[in-house]
Amino acid sequence: VLKKQIALEERRGNDVAKLGFLLTLPAQVMLLFIVIFPLLASIYLSLTEWSPLSGGGTKWFQAYRFWGWLANYWNILRDHDFLMSIVRTFVIVAVVVPVEFFIGLGLAFLFRDNFAGKKIFHSVILMPMMIVPAVAGFTFYMLFQGQGPVNSALSAVAFRDVSILWLQGQASAMIAIMIADIWQWAPFMFLILLSGLMALPEDQINAALILGASKWQRFRLVLFPLMKPIIVISLIFRGMEAVKIFDAIWLMTTGGPGTVTESISVYMYKHGFRHLKWSWVASGGVIVLILITLISMQALKPIKEQEEKT
Amino acid sequence: MKALKYALVVVVTLLFFFPIYWVFTMAFKPFPEWTAAAGKVYWFPNHPTLDNFRAIFSQKLEMSPIAGTAIRPIVNSLFVSIAGTAIAMAVGIFAAYGISRYKAGGSLPFMLLQLRMFPPIAIIIPIMIMWAFLRMIDTWFGLVVIYGVVTLPFAVWLMKTFFDDIPRELDEAAIVDGCSNMKAFFQVVLPLAKGGIASSALFVFILNWSDFLIALILTDRKWITIPVHISKLQSAMVGALYGPKAALGMIGAVPPIVFGILIQKYLVRGLTFGAIKK
Repeated sequence: VLKKQIALEERRGNDVAKLGFLLTLPAQVMLLFIVIFPLLASIYLSLTEWSPLSGGGTKWFQAYRFWGWLANYWNILRDHDFLMSIVRTFVIVAVVVPVEFFIGLGLAFLFRDNFAGKKIFHSVILMPMMIVPAVAGFTFYMLFQGQGPVNSALSAVAFRDVSILWLQGQASAMIAIMIADIWQWAPFMFLILLSGLMALPEDQINAALILGASKWQRFRLVLFPLMKPIIVISLIFRGMEAVKIFDAIWLMTTGGPGTVTESISVYMYKHGFRHLKWSWVASGGVIVLILITLISMQALKPIKEQEEKT
Repeated sequence: MKALKYALVVVVTLLFFFPIYWVFTMAFKPFPEWTAAAGKVYWFPNHPTLDNFRAIFSQKLEMSPIAGTAIRPIVNSLFVSIAGTAIAMAVGIFAAYGISRYKAGGSLPFMLLQLRMFPPIAIIIPIMIMWAFLRMIDTWFGLVVIYGVVTLPFAVWLMKTFFDDIPRELDEAAIVDGCSNMKAFFQVVLPLAKGGIASSALFVFILNWSDFLIALILTDRKWITIPVHISKLQSAMVGALYGPKAALGMIGAVPPIVFGILIQKYLVRGLTFGAIKK
């Protein structure tokens, strides 16, 4: 074996490190290209009060003529709409991720047994996840119309005429948006948790069964500890994507009525591309990047640890 | 108890299926059945028609959309998603191999994960400026490059797990037997990773195909994609074009559903960047 190892080292030559570097070089370059320049440009612009409309067609690199130091930061951090969009985004995440998790978990338990047509049911439940999010947004826009099928179904159940203007009120529009997100991403939780459940070692569960553990005990003492890494990962990845929510909101309410359903992305899109306040959005972007970096450094820890173990 | 569980499965599945049913049937409903304006919801198309499909492909019909025909956006979506996938995969495969076998790249894998966490909107303005500067707004390569970068994290992490699954001993044996490092990669590892490459590529394709925000910002007229076109479908005659929007939505929904079912086995792996391999 040792001989083989030496032969291998010899054949590989001294430039193994160089080869590794070359293999990852294109990816590194792309990352730099797309992260470093925009980041620096963001910081630069955020310190000015420039917009594409300012002063007779000044270009972005001449933005220093409108230098404003931290004025944008000072103002955006006192902007009610901006702060609310952050709060709202985290409220959405805090609601949809746990709901998706529990729906996914419940479904995963249902799908542990075998039953007729299981494969078909399984595929159908996964379909929402693969629908283009913008199409999903438009679909729920139709469903939640005043005269749409949701109200009609509710009327049938409630035996009276239900005509909620879902997308016209803040609370109801938020609920509609959350339902759309839950519909689309609960299947993701289901898929992950089911694969986790199926991979559990049978004998440990059987042992617990023989020892007379109750259902709850089996879940808490055997299933949960075994499932924990998967649960953590599923929550992190879903949370990470949910923060970016844009498509569904844009197609359902465009952040309205007014600004009451704006998420971070919707707020920034509106201010950047409807009001053309680019330096304003740049400062918002820097704030969001700092916020997300702080959160993601915490969130990615368990994954890093797992990676280091293997 | 068993019957109850089964009933629950059926009900939940139907609930999950309903919105899909609604767009797909909407695509075949004539104008009077789009909404319940007449006081009655049409649960299924009473007079199924292909008018909605005709509308999105023509400009002559009365309810033809302001935004023009959908032929160009469909072709654009296909082309841009495929080319973006090709870039992400080409760059990703090499990087993944370097990371898997040579522990190269340092913090690259986690930088990529971090990149994936940022809402794209937070850095899109400078990207737009950069694109404008390079004259890449509303061009195919402008979109292709950004799609390649945005989905690169998935390509790298997915391919890394597939390479990790292939025993090192195989390429090491080839090297001992006289292959060069790269020859061992191309002739031994790559053929073994074929399945992994195919499923990763399909997965990345689905992601690119589903994008809305980036195309909305970086395209304007010529290179708009299906989701952007859907959001713009309006008609001066009848306002929001439910039927045609649904028809185009259905066209947009089919490829990811088909591919998604094809790679069902690897969806978990893809969506968790290989953290869960199953």
